[in-house]
Amino acid sequence: MALPQNAETARLRLAMVGVVVLCLFAAMFARLWYLQVMASHTYVTASINNQVRRIFEPAPRGRILDRQGRVLVDNRVSEVVTISRVEASKDPVTLARLAALLQTTTDELNRRVADPRFSPYKPVPVAEDVDKSKVIYIREHQEDFPGVEANPTALRTYPYGTVAAHLLGYVGEINDSELAPRKSKGYRQGDDIGKSGVEQSYEDVLRGTPGVTTLEVDSQGNTIRTLSVRPPEQGHDIQLTIDLDVQKLTEESLVQGLDTVRSTVDKSTGNHYPAPAGAAVVLDPRDGSVLAMASVPTYDPSAFINGIKPAVFQQLQDPGSHFPLNNRAIQGLYAPGSTFKLATASAALKTGLITAAYGINDTGSLKVGNRVFHNALNESYGHISLTRAITVSSDVYFYNLGNMFWSQRGKYGNAIQDQAKALGFGVKTGIPLTGEANGRIPDPDSRKRLHDQNPKAFPNGQWFAGDNVNLAIGQGETVVTPLQLANAYATFGNGGTVYEPRIAAHVLDHDGHVISDIKPKVVRQVPLPPDVRDPILAGLKGAVSDPKGTAHAAFAGFPTDAFDIAGKTGTAQVVGKEDTAVFTSFAPADNPQYEITVLMEESGFGGTAAAPVARRVYEGLAGKPVTPIQLGGGVD
Amino acid sequence: VAIQSGRQDPAAAWRHLDITLLMTVLAVAGYGIVMVWSATRDKLAANGSDPSYYLKRQIVFVVIGLALLVLTASIDYRVFRDFAPIGYVGTIFVLLAVLSPIGSKSKGAQAWFQLGSYQLQPSEIAKVVLIVCLASYCAVHRGDLDGRRLLVVLALALLPMALIYKQPDLGTDLVFVAILICMMLVAGARPRHMALLTALGVVGVVAVLQLGVLKHYQVDRLSAFLNSQTDVQGSTYNLNQSKIAIGAGGITGKGLFKGTQTNLSYVPEQHTDFIFTAVGEQLGLVGSIALLALFALMVWRTWRISTIAKDLAGTLICVGILAMLVFQMFENMGMTMGIMPITGIPLPFMSYGGSATLAEFAAIGLVLNVHMRRFS
Repeated sequence: MALPQNAETARLRLAMVGVVVLCLFAAMFARLWYLQVMASHTYVTASINNQVRRIFEPAPRGRILDRQGRVLVDNRVSEVVTISRVEASKDPVTLARLAALLQTTTDELNRRVADPRFSPYKPVPVAEDVDKSKVIYIREHQEDFPGVEANPTALRTYPYGTVAAHLLGYVGEINDSELAPRKSKGYRQGDDIGKSGVEQSYEDVLRGTPGVTTLEVDSQGNTIRTLSVRPPEQGHDIQLTIDLDVQKLTEESLVQGLDTVRSTVDKSTGNHYPAPAGAAVVLDPRDGSVLAMASVPTYDPSAFINGIKPAVFQQLQDPGSHFPLNNRAIQGLYAPGSTFKLATASAALKTGLITAAYGINDTGSLKVGNRVFHNALNESYGHISLTRAITVSSDVYFYNLGNMFWSQRGKYGNAIQDQAKALGFGVKTGIPLTGEANGRIPDPDSRKRLHDQNPKAFPNGQWFAGDNVNLAIGQGETVVTPLQLANAYATFGNGGTVYEPRIAAHVLDHDGHVISDIKPKVVRQVPLPPDVRDPILAGLKGAVSDPKGTAHAAFAGFPTDAFDIAGKTGTAQVVGKEDTAVFTSFAPADNPQYEITVLMEESGFGGTAAAPVARRVYEGLAGKPVTPIQLGGGVD
Repeated sequence: VAIQSGRQDPAAAWRHLDITLLMTVLAVAGYGIVMVWSATRDKLAANGSDPSYYLKRQIVFVVIGLALLVLTASIDYRVFRDFAPIGYVGTIFVLLAVLSPIGSKSKGAQAWFQLGSYQLQPSEIAKVVLIVCLASYCAVHRGDLDGRRLLVVLALALLPMALIYKQPDLGTDLVFVAILICMMLVAGARPRHMALLTALGVVGVVAVLQLGVLKHYQVDRLSAFLNSQTDVQGSTYNLNQSKIAIGAGGITGKGLFKGTQTNLSYVPEQHTDFIFTAVGEQLGLVGSIALLALFALMVWRTWRISTIAKDLAGTLICVGILAMLVFQMFENMGMTMGIMPITGIPLPFMSYGGSATLAEFAAIGLVLNVHMRRFS
């Protein structure tokens, strides 16, 4: 080599260049190794995702049937026109043309395109139930309607309108918190999901499997070929324990009862009863099946189809509307009033505090400590035993029991509360519906706990004799749901079996074949030996049949050949409001097939207002002519 | 006497031809032709065009390139050395011409002459001419590059670079920088001058980025590889698709003509700047390593020739061409793999394109030239 004088330096510098080159090649090799060996799997996935597009088609939901197979919730096909937001913003002429075709205004379409409820990446629905001929027109003139699509969509339809709205529930677009735990189940943004009621509880049964079409696409999104097609599979049908006839009858009777009460004047105040709301439950005590469940006021579930309009939703949330979305049968918390005497009476007999023969002279009031407790309207019933006390609903008799339990608390503890909870008062029934309230049965410990936790809100941490007296007649802090009350009396009626209320009986395929049964579920047994049960049952029968019974007037003229009804009225005082009217009952009394509970807010006496509603339902159940509601008499 | 006869008898020099280098170059060029075909066949067919359009043209480029190689190898490189000043002036003139209305604009750069259905990109040729010029100037001064001569070298390089920057073609300018650094180093620049230039370079880069000399899209593209997750559809789209193609190839690749990234046009500019993704996806690690090995062989032979050249001019020509080839390989493959910024630099002998292919063949012709005449 003929390098100049500093040849050695040049050689060194050439070697440096060589080393640098070597390093660069080593770096490329290392990077290649990383991409093609170590991290290759992630790029393989990315490459498949690149070239494969999945088009999802929602499956029609399963139908909801009543116990006789009548369809309560069905599907119908609606042609929905959608437009892509990108295309809509590109050319205003498209929207104007579409508005003309759909016989609406551009402003209206713009308003729908701007609807924030829809994802910006998905086409926005701008018209539903579009005429088939217009759909065909759009498809034939697709070049005039860039970004506009019309697709058949399965929508929920309610053949019986608002019947059983709370129980059936409604369907809506899945939200983020619902989606997060369900991604693994194949839910996607924009999917429909049951939001309440049966639609929510039996979502997995009803949903079905969405269809998937897999396409190979190029970088422009052009379809190269279809790789696979899986058509959507409709969800299974669910057959409820609800009987449409009973449900309708119950709802009608409750509404009629509330209407009648509203037209009545409370003599003590001179005002009309407000009677804004109520709930009624019909159970089968033999297996816990719910035959009917009504909550008034109600709402129209079809308002939720394609997303509820904000104005409608606002109205449903307005306090003046009395919260029609609430299912009062499971969410409403009410003082049970005298219906709670079932717990007190059975606790007293069971623990041996008294025997059925134990009698007192009811003078209309009882002094406990320095406080005097009165019967309703200060009635006095004279010499009465337990059975009689139930029939006429003597508060004094039960004040006395509450006081006795308190003075012997060392021996009996919280016997009333224990028995109440065993029967299901203040305990979730476990009905497969979300939002069921707990209720509350207070005791000295729970009161102390509340006081210790928050002394300001609960200034009184101590339990007095007067609290036990109030507890004994279902007043004070005790609150239960209508369903808990119904289930407690169903338990008593069937001899002590506590069922978890059941709303669905079968899962069916689309041809009506049973896929699986939803079996009755026994939660626990409450021992009710004859010496406990018989005197109480006699008292409950008397409440309806004895001329002095609190529900007797309400059932005057009821066809005696139909049912022998056992029941209990209740009139629960609510601070600052009219009383809650309560009636709970079962029939036939000795072998009950039905348990009917009715609660009416701010409606006065249970025997006057609530019992007639139950009577009307019994008439229907017995196959007798249904008579208009006539308010009964009675003082409880 | 032997030297004299060597100079006068053209056939004598060919006896010392570096067959290994020539075969390596031909192998890579052949590999490139197949890859250009695989990267364009389906897209052309989808458009209803002739699926072998680019294949045929690349074959033509390689054949012309080979002829050019024979030409540049045949004429003693010392003749080129002696005529270097004329070549330099001619190149500057052509680079000026391309900026005038005679030149035409494509993909945002005023960098081409349109000749019928072919385009000539003078900046590709300018690289090779500048290498010869710098080698000649340094050789004249027998490797004694004092500060004043170094400034001349810098000035010689900066003039064409400035014209190319005007086009604008930042990538080619970067190749010039690599060539310049390597040649100054080997030509005997003082270490303190090299250190000073490095410092100036760093300051210059910072200043260019800070003062907004570069256009926004240029900075975007240059820095995209640093944070490739920022904007999947924007400036990092090319990079992500490119990495997906290479990574999805795995060890053995998806098979020739079976690359989905390739066939479904997910990698933009795949037959030109992103040709390496076609290798990576279809032929996998095996094909990529094979290409890397061929490149290594090509670079090693060039480096070896630089060490055994007869004179400093020969050494520096080889060093300049080595710098050009290595920088283009590293920058091009590096950008497809996400370790270098994205710039429009072709992969030697692989990327589709006439001017680059011709310039590269001419360059290798010069290297062969130096080897053939190492005794004369």
